[in-house]
Amino acid sequence: MTKNEKFSAYNPTWCPGCGDWGIGMAIKSSLTQLGMDPSSLAVVFGIGCSGNMNDFLNAYAIHSLHGRALPNAVGMKLANHKMPVIVIAGDGDTYGEGGNHFLHACRGNHDITLIVHDNGVYGLTTGQVAPTANKGAKSKSTPTGIIETPVFPLTLALTQGATFVGQSFAGDLPHMVDTIKKGITHKGFSLVNILQPCVTFNKVNTYQYYIKRSYKLPENHDPKDYKQAIDRALEMNNERYPLGVLYQVEKPVYHEQTASYNKEKSLVERKRFEDSDILIKEFT
Amino acid sequence: MAQFLWKIGGEAGFGILTSGLTFSKIATRLGYHIFDYIEYPSLIRGGHNSIEVVVSDTEVHALKNPIDYLVCLNEDTFKFHSDRLSKESVVVYDPDDFDFDGTYVRVAVPFKKILAEETGEGVMKNTIALGASLALLGGDLSILFSMLEEQFSRKGEEVLTFNKKFAQRGYDYVLEKFKDVCKPHLDKREDHEKAVMTGNDAFSFAAVAADCRFYAAYPMTPSSTVLTTMAAWQQKAGLIVRHAEDEIAVINTALGASFMGTRAAVGTSGGGFALMVESLSFAGIAEMPIVVYLSQRPGPATGMPTWTEQGDLLFAVNAGHGEFPKIVLAPGDVDEMLELTAKAFNLADIYQTPVIVMSDMLLSESHKSVQTQKMKDLYTAKLDRGKTVSQPNGEVYLRYKLESDGISDRLIPGAPGHFYQANSYEHIEDGHTTEEADARTQQVNKRNAKAKTYLANHFVAPKVYGNIDTAKTVLVSWGSMKGPILEAMKELGDAAALIHFTHVFPLDKEKISPLFGKEKEYILVENNSHAQFGRLLQQETGISIPKALLKYDGRPFAKEEIIDYVKNS
Repeated sequence: MTKNEKFSAYNPTWCPGCGDWGIGMAIKSSLTQLGMDPSSLAVVFGIGCSGNMNDFLNAYAIHSLHGRALPNAVGMKLANHKMPVIVIAGDGDTYGEGGNHFLHACRGNHDITLIVHDNGVYGLTTGQVAPTANKGAKSKSTPTGIIETPVFPLTLALTQGATFVGQSFAGDLPHMVDTIKKGITHKGFSLVNILQPCVTFNKVNTYQYYIKRSYKLPENHDPKDYKQAIDRALEMNNERYPLGVLYQVEKPVYHEQTASYNKEKSLVERKRFEDSDILIKEFT
Repeated sequence: MAQFLWKIGGEAGFGILTSGLTFSKIATRLGYHIFDYIEYPSLIRGGHNSIEVVVSDTEVHALKNPIDYLVCLNEDTFKFHSDRLSKESVVVYDPDDFDFDGTYVRVAVPFKKILAEETGEGVMKNTIALGASLALLGGDLSILFSMLEEQFSRKGEEVLTFNKKFAQRGYDYVLEKFKDVCKPHLDKREDHEKAVMTGNDAFSFAAVAADCRFYAAYPMTPSSTVLTTMAAWQQKAGLIVRHAEDEIAVINTALGASFMGTRAAVGTSGGGFALMVESLSFAGIAEMPIVVYLSQRPGPATGMPTWTEQGDLLFAVNAGHGEFPKIVLAPGDVDEMLELTAKAFNLADIYQTPVIVMSDMLLSESHKSVQTQKMKDLYTAKLDRGKTVSQPNGEVYLRYKLESDGISDRLIPGAPGHFYQANSYEHIEDGHTTEEADARTQQVNKRNAKAKTYLANHFVAPKVYGNIDTAKTVLVSWGSMKGPILEAMKELGDAAALIHFTHVFPLDKEKISPLFGKEKEYILVENNSHAQFGRLLQQETGISIPKALLKYDGRPFAKEEIIDYVKNS
């Protein structure tokens, strides 16, 4: 048994050629290479083709509602900060249905890694546009083309306070593994946005499309330089896709700033509070 | 003295509500029971605020209509409430501010003049009024002084002395000029040690006692003070309280914490609850314990945010798409809020499903005196976490194992060598997704079995107050209407009894039916327009109560309204 197999559950049901295969492989390899174990890992899955990884990846997991994986993850981290928490969700989950949660998870700097399968469509509901679809993209729900401009995840995350913003491509396994590992080991909120071709429903953002329009960040890119990161992220407005870690800084994480934080004893490990008199006093 | 009602009113933003609470605490420290009720518009300043306190030497649950003492810090107080005055009512007012017609016992206190002489601020009118009130009621001024000390000692001796002076001036003025009006209503008496709490306070206090370590909310009247109260206790009691971005995040954050093994709760009112409902259904299928505190206010939509109604019962009972078990509890007063909140956390763990604790503005924001011993006992009560385990029993762990009582072992994440998923999709016993017909049917049956287990083990039949055999009229109600009805029954005597429900859903027909079908006049009493509990009772048990006394103007019943209705029917 290869080491990855301890994370492997059912065989995935994704379409042949789907980018999710690569992402699934990359996530398992990253976890294995980081020496993690399904019993010491918490994962939340969204709803969509990405979320269907729930049956293919072993961990203490919640398979959430559409859009709600992030707040589940926030609660998990606050209750037990000793377990790494990873969210695996789609672009509809994260930037559409759960858009509000995304903004607030970034600004909270919760110590969570969010891996987004960004394919520009709703695959599981047979191919309607997602919030990241290019303007004008035609789909069953937008037969004359989508009117809105796309959500730009990297710019959004950067401006809302995420302390790690990275992007990778489902066609490049080693790059995904590298970026995901960096995201998981980052302390604070990390976004790993993965450009993922949907071979069944998205005829625009194909493997060829991304190979042509993406590029790896040059060695002289400074991930601590916010302005450089913003400039790189803004290139996506013109369909140019930087790959790698655009931004990474250390800032205090949410759970360590809670009023009752105790490094040694997470919420689930504490003793029951029993000093009723100090609370009763307030009511007499 | 049996009881008296003292009411104070003034412009919003000038400490009226704090004065009312101070008055309630003074009466309680002097050995009396209290119940109070506040009225305020959905504004911060510029509106009219008032609070009234019923003080009694026996336990008291609700307001009465006649006002015995009305303290007017502005003219509106008199104008808005004079219809509840009689010629025996004492009216405290400042003739430099306004005057009025009518025969009442007038106690003119020069608030403005005293403020000017002592160079005080407007808010200190309250302190003068409290001093004046204690003189009128024969209360010990030193109790007010000790409360001022608790309030101002941190600000130094000078501030404290300054504030005490206003209390003394009000007290002295009344004793000097209105000696003949003063009555010994607040003579110190011996009684159990008591505290003064609202329903929201009681939920917060009992939640912590029940070892709830995680609370999330988005502010929404009338539930907001649970959030602020528990937030202030985080360090003291080792809690995490999160004000999340919206109610959907609120409940999902709490579910994440619950999944990890800590007791978790959320609180809101109708509109926020509506946003949580999809996730309630998620908790139902994934079998994650959660306690939801639902404090009702008049809807629909934004409705009347700072007023009261029991309009969300059927919404709570039916909340969530799909079919899953759910327990709804509705405490009738602050004491029952303490007791049933503690029970709710046990039930959530035992049945691994949502438990809703219902309140409303009346119960959430009215203070009542409760024995401190009851509060202490909650902290030593044993917790029942049901089938929550930290290690699986046996080598293979099945999160959704089929069990005849509907409840499977719930493993706290982190146990080495194991893992599982809490799945919002239908699943097989080990948690993996399924669309297979037999597995689906089995899991539905398993979840449904919890309701039967609950009815057999934890459902409590409605409590009967008064003697149902001798009564001519039997009132039937639920939740916060207990208070006004009990107060009405004090006057109706043996002629009336009350069947009061706290365990409102699910309902056990076998245990309830014997109370009905007698040769009595049954009258439903509810603070809504649809007679929602009546509908629920009929749906669940077949019992029909055609006669209903309903009120839905945003105000609770005054006991006189119930008395009149019973006497005239």
